[in-house]
Amino acid sequence: MSKVRRYEVTAAGDFASVLAVLTDHVGLQLVSLEEVERSWLDTAAGTLAQTDTTLEFRTPKGEGTASLTWATDGRILVHDSCVAASVPVQVGDLPESAAFARLARLIDGESLVLGPTVNSQIAVLACLDDEDKTTARFVFDRSETLEGIALPMLLEIIPLRGYDSEAAAIEKLVRRSVALSESATPMKALVKNATGTRANSSGLSSEMSAASAWRVVLQQLTKSITDSFSGVLSGNDPEDLHAFRVAVRRIRTLLQDGGDVIDPESRDRFRHEYRWLGDVTTPTRDADVHLLEFPELVASLPQSWRDDLAPFNEVLIRHRNECQASMVTELRSIRRAEFGSAWIEFLSDEDAWTGCGELSDEPVLRVVIRRVEKAHRELVKNGGKITKKSPAISLHELRKEGKRLRYLLECFGPRFDQEALATILRPLRDLQDVLGEFQDTEVQGEALFELAGELATTDDHPALVAIGGVVEQLGVRGSTARNEFSKVFGRFDDRKVQRAMNRLEVTKSSGKKKR
Amino acid sequence: MKVLATYNIKGGVGKTATAVNLAHVAAAEGNRVLVWDLDPQGAATFYFRVKPKVKGGGKAIVRGSIELGDAIKATDFDNLDLVPADFSYRHLDLWLDDAKKPLARIRRALLQVSHEYDYIFLDCPPSISLTSESVFRAADALLVPTIPTTLSLRTYEQLDRFVEENPDMVRELKILGFFSMVDRHKRLHRRFMTELRTAHPEMLEGTIPNSTDIERMGVHREPIGSYGKGSRAARSYESLWSEIQTRL
Repeated sequence: MSKVRRYEVTAAGDFASVLAVLTDHVGLQLVSLEEVERSWLDTAAGTLAQTDTTLEFRTPKGEGTASLTWATDGRILVHDSCVAASVPVQVGDLPESAAFARLARLIDGESLVLGPTVNSQIAVLACLDDEDKTTARFVFDRSETLEGIALPMLLEIIPLRGYDSEAAAIEKLVRRSVALSESATPMKALVKNATGTRANSSGLSSEMSAASAWRVVLQQLTKSITDSFSGVLSGNDPEDLHAFRVAVRRIRTLLQDGGDVIDPESRDRFRHEYRWLGDVTTPTRDADVHLLEFPELVASLPQSWRDDLAPFNEVLIRHRNECQASMVTELRSIRRAEFGSAWIEFLSDEDAWTGCGELSDEPVLRVVIRRVEKAHRELVKNGGKITKKSPAISLHELRKEGKRLRYLLECFGPRFDQEALATILRPLRDLQDVLGEFQDTEVQGEALFELAGELATTDDHPALVAIGGVVEQLGVRGSTARNEFSKVFGRFDDRKVQRAMNRLEVTKSSGKKKR
Repeated sequence: MKVLATYNIKGGVGKTATAVNLAHVAAAEGNRVLVWDLDPQGAATFYFRVKPKVKGGGKAIVRGSIELGDAIKATDFDNLDLVPADFSYRHLDLWLDDAKKPLARIRRALLQVSHEYDYIFLDCPPSISLTSESVFRAADALLVPTIPTTLSLRTYEQLDRFVEENPDMVRELKILGFFSMVDRHKRLHRRFMTELRTAHPEMLEGTIPNSTDIERMGVHREPIGSYGKGSRAARSYESLWSEIQTRL
């Protein structure tokens, strides 16, 4: 769904004069026109700001009843009249409806705190297509503080879901017709906050059922996500994002390999959500890698080229900041918050983990070893098919299969025979390093070319030539990695590793290996 | 997420009006609601003024090559979205038949958006086919509008029998029948309602009248609660919705 576009209306005049200009170009219908005193509410911890939602209490000037509007980025989640004319403070003061029940769950019993208050005139207009269907909404917001200081008139263009291209066309027309300045600050600034989620971090035991063990590991991984979350939002240390992504990837592996162990509907739902969570963090991680590795890449170039690349470093930093900002928006979204709450609820719900699959009551080791063996077989089979002529995508797919095996082994590591585990993990990690190097150099090369497009418009030819040198370096590294593949794969597809696979399970009585 | 399918083997009984109006009532209460128009006639799509064009094609949704979320269009009402249908939905049975695990396809597609909605309404085409069987598998409840006539009575009992004979397919599906297009001035309607209620005491109490206000949905291209708020017909959908919620 497209983001809401916010503009400051710099054209002189009031709503009417701006509208007069717009109606010449766009089919518009007035939805509502309000004159209200409005206040923003949030919890002391800023729970709503953290989820990118706003809660407004509006009291009409003149007749009418007070209302409460919960919205996300301009889109109304719920709007309802308030029984009492006073500001709601406790959850019990909220109107009774399904949507406000969601809000109540979100704020989890905390009191609401009154934020800034302004006097506002708010006009909402629908932009209509040739079927008289709304494709976008315009919200004109003219406000002044209680002390009478006028704030800039804002125009929000809110595309309706599924009508992004229509809204973009309207926006273009509006920008041509009315004097606007882009990216005005929203009326209410978002408040940063850090609420933690609770996760149980007890250990694994051999006697555990598969479902219990899966749950424990998922709880531990969830804790890693929670611990790194504020660091990911601040963006100060790339290690936080790395840790966050590893935990997400491991959870995805456990969900993928949780068939017949985890409740199937929850499994499907959370697989989908964790894929989304992984995807929204990928561009920032890629940008982090560009920035981290760039100095090393530049160092291998001749001195004259290194100086030429100084402007490109600024492009990388700007790109990384843009990726970070987009990622933070997604991570603060109501989708992330609700999915996070649902996940925590799922992990803490005893019933959801009882008799939830055919193998849920089986001993954990038996189930995990079966899954590990399958992942190993597939990795060996597909790796064996790779030749010098195989496309890059085959190696990328193999890397994913390798991750699956590695994460299964690492997540349940404490329950395996440690010597056998080390025998498998050493060559597996080497293989993953080579595959990772191959993929990173490919992705980085393509991304650098794309980002270099920005310099092309500034005619910075020396920098472009130098970037060509960097990409060439990456190509060499990629080729080296590819050439090393057969060697490292051979070390993994080895009888020693196969024998270690058979020794993973430790017998209860002697501590010696089975089979 | 609860999935409610408006379904009847027979056509012209008010399935689409039910889906559109109940969805509107549910959204007005602050629930997040999606209507998936599965009928190639695209009447629900028409009522919401959405163009009968499916982004990426209905086939791609069913086959899983595009996500259901990408085909969603917001309606003009807060918290109420639509997956439109186009005429290609007449091939829905064939698409399902070609797919692996056809009966799970619709449920699978719905799971992709389950985090976004409290209620999903499936507006089904008439007939009993692979599509309806997939809907039975996907839905938590079937809302079965039934006109109090001999033929409707027959089709209601056909459905009842089908559900009884296929417990594996329908699992915990609830069948929520109710009378639709009721004309209380007709003695025959009154008689059939009494008879059917005696035979099927599980039927909902709420009834939807035969009303020109409902027929005018096609003129206004809106749910009745938007242009006829407070009318008898609009109130009948509100009562029906309250009753349905108690049965879910």
